Amino acid sequence: MKQFKTVLKFELKGYFKNKIFLGTTMLFMVLIIGAMFLPQIAGYFKNNDSESGEKEVILVTSEDGELSQVLLSTLRQSLSGYEIISTDESGEEIGEKVQSGEVWGGIVFTSPTDYKYYVDNLSMYDSNTEVIDEALKNMRQIDAMIESGISQEEVEEILSVKSNHEVINMGKDQMQNFFYTYIMIFALYMVIMLYGQMVASNVATEKSSRAMELLVTSVSPTSMMFGKVIASCLAGFVQLFSIFGTAFICFSINKASWEGNMIITSMFGIPADLLVYMMIFFILGFFIYAFLYGAIGSTATRLEDINTTSTPLTLLFVGAFLVVMLSMSSGNVDNIAMKICSFVPFTSPMAMFTRIAMSTVPFYQILLSIVVLIASTVGVGFLSARIYRAGVLMYGNPPKLGTIIKAVFKS
Amino acid sequence: MVLEFKDIRKSFGEKKVLKGINLVAEGGSAFGLLGRNGAGKTTSIRILMNVFPPNSGEVLFDGKPINYKNVTFGYLPEERGLYAKKKIIDQLIFFAELKGMNRSEAISAIDYWLDRLQVSEYRNKKLDTLSKGNQQKVQLVTALVHDPDIIILDEPFSGLDPVNAMLLKDVVNEEIHKGKIVLFSSHQMNYIEEFCHSIAIINGGEIVVSGDLNEIKRRYPRNRLIVRSQMNDRILRDYEPKAELKENGELFLTLDSPEEKGEVIRHLADNYDIDEVKVFEPSLNDIFVEYTKDRI
Repeated sequence: MKQFKTVLKFELKGYFKNKIFLGTTMLFMVLIIGAMFLPQIAGYFKNNDSESGEKEVILVTSEDGELSQVLLSTLRQSLSGYEIISTDESGEEIGEKVQSGEVWGGIVFTSPTDYKYYVDNLSMYDSNTEVIDEALKNMRQIDAMIESGISQEEVEEILSVKSNHEVINMGKDQMQNFFYTYIMIFALYMVIMLYGQMVASNVATEKSSRAMELLVTSVSPTSMMFGKVIASCLAGFVQLFSIFGTAFICFSINKASWEGNMIITSMFGIPADLLVYMMIFFILGFFIYAFLYGAIGSTATRLEDINTTSTPLTLLFVGAFLVVMLSMSSGNVDNIAMKICSFVPFTSPMAMFTRIAMSTVPFYQILLSIVVLIASTVGVGFLSARIYRAGVLMYGNPPKLGTIIKAVFKS
Repeated sequence: MVLEFKDIRKSFGEKKVLKGINLVAEGGSAFGLLGRNGAGKTTSIRILMNVFPPNSGEVLFDGKPINYKNVTFGYLPEERGLYAKKKIIDQLIFFAELKGMNRSEAISAIDYWLDRLQVSEYRNKKLDTLSKGNQQKVQLVTALVHDPDIIILDEPFSGLDPVNAMLLKDVVNEEIHKGKIVLFSSHQMNYIEEFCHSIAIINGGEIVVSGDLNEIKRRYPRNRLIVRSQMNDRILRDYEPKAELKENGELFLTLDSPEEKGEVIRHLADNYDIDEVKVFEPSLNDIFVEYTKDRI
């Protein structure tokens, strides 16, 4: 136990003194702060614009020269952000003015229902044509109704009829849960890949530098393995908490600015019970992979060997990730593959969490999945400590799986 | 303190690495474990340090099966290496703590040893900024810092300059005088001869010769004389065919039996101008080569 603590302390110190570790954490925090303050910053620019200048000008004309007052006022109402000026100029002249920047845009009616929309650079967010279409359609409908002898009041009454609906959701709102499930799955994927590789290269470095010769005679492989893996897990959590904590604090500060953004608000509105499940699956998933990556590191003689040796494990993990991601985007997270995956230890952290978040899973299934996962994590922990003991003394080519298994049972 | 190997056997797969190793090492003296590359020395050391158990046989300490909770080891592996990118003091504390020391004990002991080995100026440097010899001295600290009962030094002198070798010799002698068991493994026979009272030579997983080094030497027939003289030509002529001139200018006289020794020495002293006459004893090197050249 004492040795385990010593290893844990030493490894943790290694992470927190590592400049790359500190640097990436800081970088992520700065990026998050920047992203979370974006609406405020953007708002700042926008306000500046409207305060300093007048509204942008849109010229309106009709090819047949007739431009009704009703049409103009409808346009002014719909495009309230612009100054609408009627003109006699031709389409070509308007086009030139738009191109030269003299006016912002132009609308040229070729018939009461058809028009050309002139603009210099069509912005991604330009929805003016839809607004105009809607206004025109409305106008035409009113005109048609009045023409057929319906009175103004009746028209208004007809148009104001609305249907109401209410959704009674007996399960989960997939739309709302999608984003934080997505983020959690992605974070799990990234963290396991990153830290798994770190644990593996950490062990392989000790081996290639021959510090292992001394370590193996000083400390039990179980203490070594558990110390390393738990230290990397703690380091990973410190990193995640710093990043997500920063995000949460920044979100709280800017809550008002994000109100209209469903994605962001739903992300921070994750329910507490889901958060607990997230932690459970995250920790267990992290451990089971980190142990195996550690064991893989112990069989490598050089750092370069890790990539080849860890391929099967990485493929397994990427496979699980793909199944979950595809099921998520198809909307059916309770398909047969997901059901199987949510009980298999190596895939359950991602699969079961996704099912809990985006569908309704009976509690006994969740419990079963967690119990299986805990049991296999402990099992894999001790197994990897044995692989470690056998592996650290093997030098030369990366051993085949069979050789490792033989060595484990012999030792 | 007495350390004993009792019929230790170990195989890795089909390969029998140790085929019944027996040896006895006592406290207050150094024990030399010799053998060619791949003979089974490192495996023996690893079994001693409980890295893996033997297939059969046991390690005894003071007559009882060794209890790894009570007996401490200091080990300088042949393959050296610590954490290249970490500060020396940090990693030395780590290794000392793994050996059961607390932090403050560890720091004062480390500072003592860094000073004793004349590397205290590198205390806060990263290991890979040091020269090979200094790295080796730092690693030696990990073997000595926790005042172990048994010290195992695998090729401790390789890579050290003569001054550092002298320093290490002094340190090793101090530890021997403290009553510790010092196990030496080396191919530099002169150092073994200098330190080790007892030796064991492993070849092909078996002990081919072991015991008190002087006794082993005395087992060789004492019928050969080494003569240094200014009158080599005359002696050569007079003692034909028993005399033989070596490349280093010494004469080698092989007698019919050791009993003739006294008479021949007297005859030489009376009749020739003699600088030195001594009975030939094989060096450890000779013994080693003799026992290990054919088999492995």
